[in-house]
Amino acid sequence: MAESPKARNFFESSRAAVGDHELRRKLESASARHLDHFDQVRAEFPPYDDQRDAAHRIKTDAIAHLDELLIGLAAKLEARGCKVFFAEDAADARGYIVELAKARGAKNVVKGKSMTTEEIELNQAFERAGIDAVETDLGEYIVQLRGERPSHILTPAIHLSKEDIGRLFADKFGIAYTAEPEKLTAEARSRLRRIFLNAEFGVTGVNFAIAETGTLVIVENEGNGRMSSTMPQTFVAVMGIEKVIPRLEDLSPFLEILARTATGQKLTTYTSFITGPRREGELDGPGEMHVVILDNGRSAMIADPVLRGALNCIRCGACLNVCPIYRRIGGHAYRSVYPGPIGSIVSPNLFGSAAGYLPFASTLCGACKDICPVKIDIPRILLHLRWKETAGEHALRWPRAIERARRGARRFARLARYPRTVRALGKFAAMVLKPFARNGYLRRMPGPFGNWTKYRDFPRPRPHRRPAPGPKRGPR
Amino acid sequence: MIVAEIHKIIASVKDALGAGPRSASHAPAPSIAVPVSPSARRAELASTFARELEAVGGNFLGILTPAEVTNRIVTLAGELGAMTVALGRGLMSDMDAIGEALERADCRIVRTIPVADTERAAMREQVANADLGIVEADFAIASTGTLAVVSTRDRPSSLTLLPPASLAIVQIDRVMANLAAVLAELGPGGVAANRLTLVTGPSRTADIEKRIVLGVHGPKSIHAIVVWPGDD
Repeated sequence: MAESPKARNFFESSRAAVGDHELRRKLESASARHLDHFDQVRAEFPPYDDQRDAAHRIKTDAIAHLDELLIGLAAKLEARGCKVFFAEDAADARGYIVELAKARGAKNVVKGKSMTTEEIELNQAFERAGIDAVETDLGEYIVQLRGERPSHILTPAIHLSKEDIGRLFADKFGIAYTAEPEKLTAEARSRLRRIFLNAEFGVTGVNFAIAETGTLVIVENEGNGRMSSTMPQTFVAVMGIEKVIPRLEDLSPFLEILARTATGQKLTTYTSFITGPRREGELDGPGEMHVVILDNGRSAMIADPVLRGALNCIRCGACLNVCPIYRRIGGHAYRSVYPGPIGSIVSPNLFGSAAGYLPFASTLCGACKDICPVKIDIPRILLHLRWKETAGEHALRWPRAIERARRGARRFARLARYPRTVRALGKFAAMVLKPFARNGYLRRMPGPFGNWTKYRDFPRPRPHRRPAPGPKRGPR
Repeated sequence: MIVAEIHKIIASVKDALGAGPRSASHAPAPSIAVPVSPSARRAELASTFARELEAVGGNFLGILTPAEVTNRIVTLAGELGAMTVALGRGLMSDMDAIGEALERADCRIVRTIPVADTERAAMREQVANADLGIVEADFAIASTGTLAVVSTRDRPSSLTLLPPASLAIVQIDRVMANLAAVLAELGPGGVAANRLTLVTGPSRTADIEKRIVLGVHGPKSIHAIVVWPGDD
């Protein structure tokens, strides 16, 4: 398992995850598969980069006019018979939804895949209220059965092997063990089909909300979103404020690139355009529809011109798959609903300082920026967040070893203002260390410097003006 | 130079290539505007649609005249072993005739008609128990192999969602080049009027070890017919 139960913070959980070779194997194989698909798709679709530019432009523009767009969207939704609720924070949102479910006497709730409902911890709130809420996306269903949370925003059960899932189904349902994905999927289908047909209350997320028409767009591959939004009498869609785009004609670039980047498809299997509850005589659709529009820290991100760019995110999950950190520690180690590069930006802003270390969990290699379909400059924003943290806006508490290293760096910075002293010290060190060196390298050093030579040799300091002859040097 | 050695090299190259997909990356299609007759353009779009539909795991049954459509559907129902077929109302096609032909072939027909609130659960149960759902799609999208279906009172979205197999028929002049063209054709008013669903292939998941499995909540198999009226 990715998350050690005793892990108190990101440092402990990531250390545990790095040591988990089985997890590493699963992550590497899944990421590699994703990237193979992606490369192929990109080669076959020449307008990809133009569409990225268009998507970036539309989103940036939409965020810049977000207030007007939200007013327009809410008006359209209400005109079409939806109830709109603006939720300032997670507690507001889940309170509204759970109270509504109680008021409707709902016993069975079905949930389509939605990261926003994970963000507001809706399942836990339903549980406290004694309401049975079932995740219906296959991956979410699996992690819910295990009592876990998703480890990837797109493939929630990426940390599990088919054998893990086979054992889980055998345990929970008392069926014969099988590790065949087809059989496991068929089992889940028949169980969830019954649940869908009896559910009174459905909840899904939203991928795009079109202000011009008051239409919610939901994309998915399995059909859980369609089921959750058509079968139950009461339907609640939960969306972050940043999901709104101005016009219908703005939508196609997003749909063209979202599926390509996320899963290597040209278009997701199902794209639903929902505008209001069902009409008189219709078989499908909810009798009653509510839209919860959630802020939960997003408007504060808009206030910061650098951070604002992160709200362009369309949750495709591609940055996770290319991230060297994510690929080594997996999603659970981040200890946040949103893991990976984009999660490291979003989490501290939505969940506060508990996630404040995450912007440092990056090598700033830029792979995320290269793959991002809406061209978010993730490394730049991570640096910006690091700066904010170290400038004392949040004042994180670091582990002792890191504090020591920082104090050391600070001392060196002070010392480096006196070049003559540095040179004199260098000469002195060169003289003292000379007898201990072999071929110009030190294999062992005392005290705190030992951490360096544990893993690599240290070049023997040499006086400044006498560059060493190159060819003879080399690691042992 | 010995021939056997060349063969060895070729063999090792072939070996090395064997692991990955062999298709070359597609060169961008030349965008030269050549005057094309409308029917040639239609045929091109329909064949692109067919190719893309098959690429996402769908089954393209052909470009047929209205008379052929009915027979092909009866044959399909036989191939699938469908006992019960759910049928929505058509746009241009005569769905009643199709229903009658299926009944003559001993299929039970569920016709989706406007329902009162008290009848809803029973009607849903009937559609869910059907082996095949048939609907006339509003549009098809060639570049992605997608069917666009507007849900109405007598053509509910359930038809393409609940039965394990789904068949869509679409008129040739409603096969559009891409998504943007369909959205432009419908316009804001058309999109907002009723629920619109874009269906691209069978319901699928990759949640278990990223392996693709078809038929999660929606249909496991999806079939499409393009109708070309003979007089055109």
